Amino acid sequence: MTLKDIHAQIEGYDRVLDEVKTARRYGTDYRIMKGEVARVLDLLHPRTLSLRVSEVIIETPSTKTLRMVSETGYLPPFEAGQYINLFVETAGVRTSRPYSISSAPGMTAYYDITVRRQQGGFVSEYLLEQVKPGDRFESSGPAGQFRYNPLLHGKELVFIAGGSGITPLMSMIRETTDRGLDRSIHLLYGNRLESDIIFHDELKERADRHKNFIYTPVISEPSKKCSELTGLLSGDLIKKVLGSVKGKNFFLCGPGALYDYCMPELEKLGVPLNRVRREMFGSPVDITSDPGWPQNVKKGTRFAVKVKGKGDLSALAEEPLLVSLERAGYTVPALCRSGECSLCRVKLLSGKVYQPRGAHVRASDLKYGYIHSCAAYPVSDCEVLL
Amino acid sequence: MDSYDVVVIGAGNGGLTAAATLAKQGLKTLLLERHNIPGGCATSFCRGRFEFEVALHQLSGMGNPSFPGPLRSMLDSLGVADEIEWVEMRNLYRVVVPGKMDITLPANRKGFTDALIEKFPKEKEGIEAFIDLVYKFFTEVIGAFYMRDPEISPLKYPLYFKYALTDTRTIMDEYLKDPLLKLAVSVYWSYVGAPPRLLAFTEYAAMIFAYIEFKPYHMKHGSQILSNALVDSFIKDGGDVRFSCGAKKILTGQGRVTGVMLDSGEEVSAPYVISNASPMVTCGEMLDKEYQREDFFRQMGGHTIGPSAYTLYIGLDCPHGELGITETTNFICTHTDMERSHTEMKMRDNEPGQMLLTCYNVSDPDASPPGTTQIALVDLKYGEPWLSVPPHQYYDYKYLYGDKMLNVVEGLIPGFRAHIEEMEVATPLTHMRYLNTPAGSIYGFDQFIRDSHIFGALDPGIPGLYFAGAWVGGGGFQPTLMSGGSAARAVAKKIRQERG
Ligand SMILES: Cc1cc2nc3c(=O)[nH]c(=O)nc-3n(C[C@H](O)[C@H](O)[C@H](O)COP(=O)(O)OP(=O)(O)OC[C@H]3O[C@@H](n4cnc5c(N)ncnc54)[C@H](O)[C@@H]3O)c2cc1C
Ligand SMILES: Cc1cc2nc3c(=O)[nH]c(=O)nc-3n(C[C@H](O)[C@H](O)[C@H](O)COP(=O)(O)OP(=O)(O)OC[C@H]3O[C@@H](n4cnc5c(N)ncnc54)[C@H](O)[C@@H]3O)c2cc1C
Ligand code: FES
Repeated sequence: MTLKDIHAQIEGYDRVLDEVKTARRYGTDYRIMKGEVARVLDLLHPRTLSLRVSEVIIETPSTKTLRMVSETGYLPPFEAGQYINLFVETAGVRTSRPYSISSAPGMTAYYDITVRRQQGGFVSEYLLEQVKPGDRFESSGPAGQFRYNPLLHGKELVFIAGGSGITPLMSMIRETTDRGLDRSIHLLYGNRLESDIIFHDELKERADRHKNFIYTPVISEPSKKCSELTGLLSGDLIKKVLGSVKGKNFFLCGPGALYDYCMPELEKLGVPLNRVRREMFGSPVDITSDPGWPQNVKKGTRFAVKVKGKGDLSALAEEPLLVSLERAGYTVPALCRSGECSLCRVKLLSGKVYQPRGAHVRASDLKYGYIHSCAAYPVSDCEVLL
Repeated sequence: MDSYDVVVIGAGNGGLTAAATLAKQGLKTLLLERHNIPGGCATSFCRGRFEFEVALHQLSGMGNPSFPGPLRSMLDSLGVADEIEWVEMRNLYRVVVPGKMDITLPANRKGFTDALIEKFPKEKEGIEAFIDLVYKFFTEVIGAFYMRDPEISPLKYPLYFKYALTDTRTIMDEYLKDPLLKLAVSVYWSYVGAPPRLLAFTEYAAMIFAYIEFKPYHMKHGSQILSNALVDSFIKDGGDVRFSCGAKKILTGQGRVTGVMLDSGEEVSAPYVISNASPMVTCGEMLDKEYQREDFFRQMGGHTIGPSAYTLYIGLDCPHGELGITETTNFICTHTDMERSHTEMKMRDNEPGQMLLTCYNVSDPDASPPGTTQIALVDLKYGEPWLSVPPHQYYDYKYLYGDKMLNVVEGLIPGFRAHIEEMEVATPLTHMRYLNTPAGSIYGFDQFIRDSHIFGALDPGIPGLYFAGAWVGGGGFQPTLMSGGSAARAVAKKIRQERG
């Protein structure tokens, strides 16, 4: 007896078999779905974008906005606060840097990225000095977790920004005011000089027009004729400006120093941790001054890094492994370059790396030796598997 | 051109066990994964101070070392069972219908029966007879089907031949009356996505039997640890793995598989390919037209795409006890009509009918940092209604359903919302993005009675091409992990035959 003969003796077999036959006769020919998964995903979450600079807008002496249009005519949606990772090839190195989108999600014709010069910065200098309308770039699709969650973040928001940290918040401010969304925003924006303030005129104008947006610039090294609030974004200042902090949700974005300074201040004011969201800020300026950094490894030390089956390179201790790999011509996928997204994950086969606290490495990755190469610094000779 | 004995496309559960099994048998194997991390569904992601489990709520088929289930035995043979700290759950689940029923069913036959009788004393006899039937029936299934008894006959296995293709509702209706009771015993239907009317009694009994006898499990550090352990075993056995590297085409020639072309355009030669990607994409897009067999597409066309899920991954800033959460697995139902719940799976924006709230910390205190709680709140949803959302409105729609789910939970657990510190929302489109499956399916095809293996397993009919994963073996961790092992054994056997 064949298996089929046996099955045919099960009660109801014929009835279900009829159903199967009908289903097959009138079923779906899945060949017509060809390409559908890719089509849907390309509209929502394309892996890469082909962009062209349509305009370069000078914002401040140290900051420009690069207005990016799509080469294909289509830009995917994003949530205000998200960034794109811009791939660049300069000085013979292919690398990338994340930049927040400063335009509003409703603006579907272009993405603005607003770049501030970082002294000696490898990419920011290049973007500010050399890029002109018509230049082409590739980038990742929009990504990032620094965004407003309507299920969670309530209606009273406080934004605290420092310098170029205004960019993701600018997108949220533009979205909220343009769409007349039912939430209020109070922005405290710290800068060293009045001339450093990015988007100053637009922020003032939006605050004048919209009751649900309040703008408070704060200058730490004011000129004589400065009419803004002065000082640092201290707890006292925040309290004075906001009145009560109760029930408010805080969004912080700025250089590392802003967090180091503001977080304890907010804590002093009694703001609960789960009401504060922070954007990432890339790699620390000087990893060797991290409290956990091994004292015996001095700045400038070089280690031999073997890439299994591919080659060798020499890596500086104070540079993320990802950067050393890129310098040596390897392509490693990367997105946040801040240790959070895990795209640059590689396996450490031997040797030691320093991983700063705050890198979001999965517990099981720690166990099996996977590291985020953008947030891992060699402190001995190593071997990695790409 | 690199050359291999076998290329495995996709490092989901099915691909991982397939690759690990092949490498164990000494076959030169390449594992390709388009994502940067292995696991497919079986993965985790970090937000703030939390690491969220994506998919695993309750692992079936494990058993303990002295009474191993089929899954433990297979993981043992790959050397990974001991790599992982397993977390056994005391109870199967708690079902709450606010204001009407609140019952917790232990993961042992007596406790399960007693708890039901305590709540529904009038139905004592029916309950006992029903559970007795489940056990007797499934014991026959094991003999007739799993042990492949050569002397199989209706005389020897009367229950099997009577009920194997009967729906679960019909049998429940024979023994049980109260709709609340029926819900309480069959709420696991949502683990398959088929309501009792469409759920073969075989599937139902298998679930109850497996979860009670082998207990529901979880693992420390979540399912990513299993995915990582499988990759580790694979690498140690000489396997090559490439992440962020998708397969674009399956190369063919002279009537068989000859290799794989990667997204980069690079070609790799191999006479065998096991695909963990969907058969629609594998055969409809990766194969040349002349290898797309009409009969295969007709057979596949009889199956419908199974559900995806809408999930809230939640980190709370307080211990679960503070909110009165006492169970790991909680089904929250706003009504008792499972048919209606199934219909609601096809809607994007209904009022939530049945959802699952898993609180990992109840069984595993290390599921999140001290003083916090990790929760997954999930509702099965077909992906179809999401496909028509205009991209630029996606983020407006994305949060609507979650708000309703949280409202239901808030009614049951006052103060819940205020304690949320981190939360990520995954829609069917999110699953589609990370799995590359049609309509974001997490279970492969629907698993209704007519989809039973009895009516033929999916076979692409091309020498050298095999499948592993939910689309061929059924959804869920145990079936997909097992399916990879079976595919690998079939390939290894073929290769041994060829080599004499
Ligand atoms: C999510 C996110 C959003 C951001 N949004 C914005 C924004 O809107 N606007 C903005 O202005 N900035 C933004 N940034 C910062 C931005 O990504 C860059 O870090 C910044 O522009 C500085 O880059 P740089 O290349 O000029 O400096 P870097 O050269 O990267 O300087 C930092 C350090 O990196 C090292 N380094 C890295 N790569 C190389 C290399 N190949 N060669 C030599 N040295 C190297 C150097 O040692 C240097 O000390 C954002 C960062 C993140 C993480
Ligand atoms: C929210 C949720 C809850 C769940 N709860 C449970 C539960 O409690 N218990 C349970 O048992 N099951 C549960 N499941 C179901 C279970 O996780 C899945 O059925 C199972 O993991 C599917 O495994 P798979 O082998 O089919 O592969 P998948 O997980 O679908 O993975 C396929 C892999 O192939 C890769 N791939 C696809 N195309 C290509 C290509 N062209 N090239 C290279 N790689 C490719 C994908 O990137 C992916 O990694 C749940 C799932 C989800 C999402
Ligand atoms: S690029 Fe995101 S973690 Fe390294």
